[in-house]
Amino acid sequence: MAAAAAPDHLFNLRNNLYLGSYQAAINNSDLPILSSEDAVERDCLVYRSYIALGSYQLVINEIDSSAATPLQAVKLLAQYLSNPHDKESIIASLKEWLADPAIGNNATLRLIAGIIFMHEEDYSEALKHTNAGGTMELHALNVQIFIKMHRSDYAEKQLRVMQQIDEDHTLTQLENAWLNLAVGGSKIQEAYLIFQDFSEKYPMTGLILNGKAVCCMHMGNFDEAETLLLEALNKDAKDPETLANLVVCSLHLGKSSSRFLSQLKLTHPEHILVKRASSAEDSFERAVQSVA
Amino acid sequence: MLTKFETKSNRVKGLSFHSKRPWILASLHSGVIQLWDFRMGTLIDRFDEHDGPVRGVHFHMSQPLFVSGGDDYKIKVWNYKLHRCLFTLLGHLDYIRTVQFHHEHPWIVSASDDQTIRIWNWQSRTCISVLTGHNHYVMCASFHPKEDLVVSASLDQTVRVWDIGSLKKKTSSPVDDILRLSQMNSDLFGGVDVIVKYVLEGHDRGVNWAAFHPTLPLIVSGADDRQVKLWRMNDTKAWEVDTLRGHMNNVSCVMFHPKQDIIISNSEDKSIRVWDGTKRTGLQTFRREHDRFWILAVHPEMNVLAAGHDSGMIVFKLERERPAFAVSGDSLFYAKDRFLRYYDFLTQTESQALTIRRPGSTTLNQSPRTLSYSPTENAVLICSDVDGGSYELYVIPKDNIGRGDNLQEAKKGLGSSAIFVARNRFAVLDKGNNQVLIKNLKNEVVKKSGLPVTTDAIFYAGTGNLLCRSEDRVVIFDLQQRLVLGDLQTPFVRYVVWSNDMETVALLSKHTIVITNKKLVHQCTLHETIRVKSGAWDDNGVFIYTTLNHIKYCLPNGDSGIIRTLDVPIYITKVSGNTVFCLDRDGKNKTIVIDATEFIFKLSLLRKRYDQVMSMIRNSQLCGEAMIAYLQQKGFPEVALHFVKDEKTRFKLALESGNIQIAVASAKEIDDKDHWYRLGVEALRQGNAGIVEYAYQRTKNFERLSFLYLINGNLEKLSKMLKIAEVKNDVMGQFHNALYLGDIQERVKILENAGHLPLAYITASVHGLHDVAERLASQLGNDVPPLPEGKEPSLLMPPAPVTCGGDWPLLRVMKGIFDGGLDSIGRGAVDEEEEEEDAGGDWGEDLDVVDVDGLQNGDVTEILEYGEVAEENEEEGGWDLEDLELPPEVDTPKVSGGARSSIFVAPTPGMPVSQIWIQKSSLAAEHAAAGNFDTAMRLLNRQLGIRNFAPLKSMFLDLHTGSQSYLRAYSSVPVVSLAIERGWSESASPNVRCPPALVFNFSQLDEKLKAGYKATKAGKFTEGLRLFVSILHTIPLIVVESRREVDEVKELIIIAKEYVLGLQMELKRREMKDDPVRQQELAAYFTHCNLQMPHLRLALQNAMVVCSKAKNWATAGNFARRLLETNPTNENQAKAARQVLQAAERNMTDAVQLNYDFRNPFVTCGATYVPIYRGQKDVSCPYCTTRFVPSQEGQLCSVCDLAVVGADASGLLCSPSQIR
Repeated sequence: MAAAAAPDHLFNLRNNLYLGSYQAAINNSDLPILSSEDAVERDCLVYRSYIALGSYQLVINEIDSSAATPLQAVKLLAQYLSNPHDKESIIASLKEWLADPAIGNNATLRLIAGIIFMHEEDYSEALKHTNAGGTMELHALNVQIFIKMHRSDYAEKQLRVMQQIDEDHTLTQLENAWLNLAVGGSKIQEAYLIFQDFSEKYPMTGLILNGKAVCCMHMGNFDEAETLLLEALNKDAKDPETLANLVVCSLHLGKSSSRFLSQLKLTHPEHILVKRASSAEDSFERAVQSVA
Repeated sequence: MLTKFETKSNRVKGLSFHSKRPWILASLHSGVIQLWDFRMGTLIDRFDEHDGPVRGVHFHMSQPLFVSGGDDYKIKVWNYKLHRCLFTLLGHLDYIRTVQFHHEHPWIVSASDDQTIRIWNWQSRTCISVLTGHNHYVMCASFHPKEDLVVSASLDQTVRVWDIGSLKKKTSSPVDDILRLSQMNSDLFGGVDVIVKYVLEGHDRGVNWAAFHPTLPLIVSGADDRQVKLWRMNDTKAWEVDTLRGHMNNVSCVMFHPKQDIIISNSEDKSIRVWDGTKRTGLQTFRREHDRFWILAVHPEMNVLAAGHDSGMIVFKLERERPAFAVSGDSLFYAKDRFLRYYDFLTQTESQALTIRRPGSTTLNQSPRTLSYSPTENAVLICSDVDGGSYELYVIPKDNIGRGDNLQEAKKGLGSSAIFVARNRFAVLDKGNNQVLIKNLKNEVVKKSGLPVTTDAIFYAGTGNLLCRSEDRVVIFDLQQRLVLGDLQTPFVRYVVWSNDMETVALLSKHTIVITNKKLVHQCTLHETIRVKSGAWDDNGVFIYTTLNHIKYCLPNGDSGIIRTLDVPIYITKVSGNTVFCLDRDGKNKTIVIDATEFIFKLSLLRKRYDQVMSMIRNSQLCGEAMIAYLQQKGFPEVALHFVKDEKTRFKLALESGNIQIAVASAKEIDDKDHWYRLGVEALRQGNAGIVEYAYQRTKNFERLSFLYLINGNLEKLSKMLKIAEVKNDVMGQFHNALYLGDIQERVKILENAGHLPLAYITASVHGLHDVAERLASQLGNDVPPLPEGKEPSLLMPPAPVTCGGDWPLLRVMKGIFDGGLDSIGRGAVDEEEEEEDAGGDWGEDLDVVDVDGLQNGDVTEILEYGEVAEENEEEGGWDLEDLELPPEVDTPKVSGGARSSIFVAPTPGMPVSQIWIQKSSLAAEHAAAGNFDTAMRLLNRQLGIRNFAPLKSMFLDLHTGSQSYLRAYSSVPVVSLAIERGWSESASPNVRCPPALVFNFSQLDEKLKAGYKATKAGKFTEGLRLFVSILHTIPLIVVESRREVDEVKELIIIAKEYVLGLQMELKRREMKDDPVRQQELAAYFTHCNLQMPHLRLALQNAMVVCSKAKNWATAGNFARRLLETNPTNENQAKAARQVLQAAERNMTDAVQLNYDFRNPFVTCGATYVPIYRGQKDVSCPYCTTRFVPSQEGQLCSVCDLAVVGADASGLLCSPSQIR
C-alpha cells in the first residue's frame, strides 16, 4: 500500500514465472544493478523457471554448496523432482534444514518445503511450514494447498489475506481465479474475466490459455475451449496440461482423443490424467469382477 | 471562462460579431476599426477614417455592411467587401455613443451625447426620427429584436423605452420618407412619431447601458451606481424587478445571454461578472489585472462572447461545448444535460442510461469533462471541474439501459482526472502529491503510486498503464512495474485517441496531432492552423480528425488531406467504413458519410496494395491535379498516368515513369517539336533506337538522325540521309554524312560543288584520288594549295559497324501491376469456378443387395420421424431406490498431523466433488464419471439387467476421464484437477455442486443415428450395425434433463434395436449363400423390422428379388405389393415391383415352403431369427426389449450384447427428472 518506492526491477521476472512464460523469465533475467538480495531472488526465480521447464540437472549443477540458502532450497526442489526414487533422503535433509533455527525460517526454503510436501500429498506437513505466510508466494501456496484439500473456505480466507496485502498482485489475481474455478458456479465467470485481463495485459502463455479454456469447459463451452487449447498447443506442443485438457475437451466434443492421450502418455507418463486413466482401468476390472 | 482569442490594441469601445462568419469588429479609441477573424486569429481589415474615438460599431444582419459612430459626430456606413466607407450620416451634434442596424428595416439607431437618439434610413440616407427626452448624454440605444421598441440609457439616471410603431407605419411606403423629410424640423421638438413608452427610474447615477431580453419582456441596465438592474414591462407599465450588486465600479455594459438564463456584465472595476438570471446571484467573476472593461458583445448564433477593455479585447466562451464521451466497442456513452446517454453504433439508436446530476445545480462549467467506461463492469467515471476537479463513479444497471430514469447515488471523490486502468480499477490523479490513487469499484484506495513526472492529467494507455501529461511532454507509466515505458516531447496534449488495436495513439494538441506507437515512439506530426477538435481511427489505421471546420485524414506516413468542410464543429466518436459518427455541440449523435476513396487510395499506394489501387482507379472518379501531383511527388507517375487525359501531362508522366509507348502515343497527339525532342532524349537514354529515330524524323532533326545512324552502324540509312541532304541542298549535312560514311569521293564532290576547290583538291590528293586531284589542280590553276609536308596522311574512315541497326538491349521497363493489371484483374474469378469438382459419392456403387441399379441419392435427413415408432415401454412403478448400497468412501488418509505443530492445526481435507456427485445421484453415468465404476455397474445391473460390461468399458473410462479438467497452477506445484459440472449458468451459486458434465449426450446419438441411417441406405451394413450397436451401448450412460427427452431416449432404444436386429439378419443372410431357403426367410424377416421408409423399400425390394429368383412367386408378389404400397419415389423400384407383381399374378405359387406367414403378425427372435407369432411364448431383453424364444432365457442378449435375456430390471433411469 505504500506509495511508490523504487521501481520493482524483478517485477517482470516474477510475473513471467507466475504466468508460466518460463523461457521469457530466463531470457530477460539479465537485469542491471541489483542489490545482493535482489540478485539472490533473481537467481531463485531463474532456477525455478528452469525447474518448471524440466531442466533439473542444470539447476543441480549450477548451484554449488556455497550458494545462499534460498538457492540451496531451490536445488533441493530440483533434486526432488529429478529423482523420484530417492525422495526419502531429500525429504530427510529438507526436514533437517527446516529444523535448523538459523535457516529454517527462510521464506524460500519454506516455500520449497511446501511444494515438496504437496507433491508428497502430505498437506498438513506442507501447511505446517507455509501457513505462517510472509510472502505473497507462501500465501499463494497456501491457497493451492487448501484447494487441493477441497477446503475452499480456508482457501478463501487466505485469499482475503492476499487481497489485503495487494489486490492487484498477479498472484492474488491468479489465486482468485483458481479458487473461483474450484468453487464453481457464477464464480467461473469471474475467473474467466481474470484470465481475460491477463491475456490483455501480458503476452499469452499456456497457463493463461489453459485457464481460459478450463473456464470455458466449466461453462459448458467446449468449442471455445478447444480453440484456446489448440492455440496453447501451438505455443508448446508438449505441455501436459494442454494435452490433458485437450483429451477432456475432445471427449466432450465427441471427437477422438486418442492422439492427445498417447502424446501425453509418451511425454508425461506421470501426469495425473494418465494415472487416473490407468487406475480407472484397474478399478473397472475390479468392478466387473465384483458385479459378476 | 475559456478565452478563444485576444487582441492587444488601443482601448476597445465598440464590438460587433458577424452573424455568419467568425468575424468581429472592434472599434478603438484611436479611431481605427479592426475586422478580425477570431477563429484563425487574423486581422482581416482595418478601417481608419474616423477622427477620434469610435464608440459604436455594428454589422448588418445580411448585407456586407457595418455602421460605426464616433466622436467626430459622424455615422459611417461601410461595405466590408469593397473595403470602404459608403457614406456618412451627419446630424448629431456631439459624440456618438452607439449605433445599431435594425434587423429588418433599413434603419440605424444612434445614441449621442447631444441628448438625442436618432433613427436613420440608410437606404435614403436620411434621419427619419429624432428621439428627444433624455436630459443628459444618451449612452446607449438599441432596437428590440422583435418588437417596435427602442431602449436607451442615459446619464440622466433613466432608462427609457420608446415605441417606434408609428415610425413603422409611416414608412410602409417608401415615398413617405421624402415627404416626411420636410416635417423633420417640426418633429424635432415634441416629435409625434416616436413616443416614450416608459421611463425607468431607479439608478442613482448615470446609466451606461440598457438591453432587452431576446424573448422575454425584460430589460437589464448597468449604471455608474455600480448596480445592474433588472426591469420587467408589460403593455401598460414597467417596473424594477431586482438589483444585482457586486461590481466595485461603474458598470460599463450589461446584457442577457442569448441562449442561457444568465446575465453578463462588465465594469470599470476590471471584471466581467456572470449572474444567474433567475436567482439573480453572481455565478462567476473574471478579473483582469489592469484593464477596465468598456463593452460587451454576444454572438447571435454561436456560443461566444466578446469584451473590450483598455488594451484590447477578448473573445471567450463561458462554457465548454464539447460533450464528454467514451467509446467502447459499438457503444458510446456521453453526457448530455444531466443525463448519461447511451448510443449504439450498430443500430444507431440512443437511450438514457442514467441521471447523473440533480436538476437545478447547473453552475457554469461544472458539466462532465471526461468520461471513462469499463465495459465488463458497466461502470462509468465522470470527471468534472466541480470542487476544483472531482469524479463520480456510477454503475449502470444492466437491465435498466433504455429507461435511465433512476437517480443513482454516485461514489464521488476529488481528483483532477480519473480513468479506468483495468476492468475494476481506476486511477485518480492527485495533483498535489503528484501521485495516482488506484481505487476499486467500491471507491476504496487499493494502491498509491507516485508519478515519474509532474502530471496535470492522466489518460488511458492500455490495461495497467497510464499516459501522464505534463506541460510539454507525455509519458506512459506502468503502474505495476512503476516503470516509464515511453516518453515523448509534445505540445500540450488535450486529447488522446487510441487505435482499435491499441498499437497506435494520436495525441491531439491545440494545433498539432502527434501520432506515435504504444511506446510513444514518434511516427509523425501534423500541424494545423486552426484548432484540432477530435479524431478517431478507422479500420485501416487511418486517423480521421476534425478541426473547427474540416474533417481530415492522416495516413500512417503523415500525409494528410481534407475530406470535407464542416459548418459547425463536431466531435468524432467513431469511424466505421466511410461513416463518421460524431456528436455535435448540442450532444446530438450524427453520422456523416464521407468519401473515403482518396485516403483509401493513398493508403493502398502506401501499403503497396496495387491490386486495390488498380481496382480503385478503374471504379472511381479519382482525378484532379492534386491527386496527380501527389502521385508524382510520391514517386508513382505510372499510377498518375491512368488518371490523366490531358496529353501534355500524360506525356510528362509517361517520360517520368519511363513508359515510352505511352509517351510516343502522346507525342503523336501533341505533335510539336519540343515533345518529340524530349521523347527522343528519353528514348535515347533507354537505348530505344527505333523511337529515337522516329522522334528525330518527326522533328526533322537531320544532324542528330545522321549521328544516330552512324552510331547505330546503319550505313544504308546514312547514305539515304546523304541523299536527303543533297535534295535539300544542305551542303554541311551532305558533308557530314559523307564523312560518317567514309565516302571520300562524295566528300570531294561536295567540296567541289560547294566551290571549295582547294579543300576538295587536298582531300582528293591526301586520300590518293590522284585523277580527281589532277582534274581539280587543273581547275585551280595556280592556286593549288601546298600539301602539308612531313605528315603521314591516314585514311579517315569510320569503323565498320559490327552489327547494324535495331534497338539496343532495352532497359527493362518494369512491367508492374499497373500495366498488366489493368487488363487481367477481371479474369481471375473465372478460373476458380472451374475447379469445382464433381464431388461424387461412391457410396452407392458397391450395393450388391439389389440388382436394380441406381439407388436414389435422396436426402437422408428428411426421414427422421420418430412418430411411427410405437411406444411399448411402459414404466413400471416402485423402484426400490432406497436400498442402493452406496458405501461412502472414506479412504482419504487420516490426518495425523496437528499434534506436531502446537500453534497451527491443519484443517481436515474436504470432500472431493466426485464424492458429492455419487452421494446425490442414482444415475449410472454419473457414478461412472465420478470413478465409482462399482456402483455404476450395480445400478445398471439393477435398472437394465446388464451383466456384460465389457462393451461399456471405454465409455466408462471416457466418462471418468472427461469429468475433470486440469489447471496448472503455481510453478512446480502438482497440477490441480477440477471437476467439470453440467448445466452451468451465470446465476449458479458458487460452492453448490451440480452433477458432473458427461461426455455423452443425446445429440451425439442423434448424429450417430443419422450416420447409421446413411450407412444402411448405402448398403454398408457392417458400418451401420456398428453405429446402431454403439447407440445401444451408449444409451445406458446417457443422462438427459426432461421427461420428454427420456421418452425420446426410450424410442431411440427401440429404433436402434430394430435396426441392429435387421442388419444382423441381413449380414447373416449374406453368409448363407448356399442355403436359399434360409436366405429368403431372413430377407423376409428383415422386412418386418421397423425400418425407415426408404430402408423398408430397400429391404422389400431385396426380399422380392431374392424370392423371385428362387421362384417363390407368391411371396415375391407379396413383397412387390407391399413395396408398391409404399409409393416408391424411385421409378426403377416401382417398375421392378410391377414386373414381379405381374409375374406373380400369373403364377401364384411358391417353389419352396418358407417359415414365413406374412398374414400372421410376428416378431423375430433376436438370437435364432425365427418368427415368434402372436400368442406364442417369448422372453425379452430387459434393456433393449428384443424378444427371444423361451429357450434363450438367461443368455446374453445378442442384440444389445449387454443385458441378460429375461432378467429382472427396474427400467431405464436416465434423467434426474425421473427421480423427482
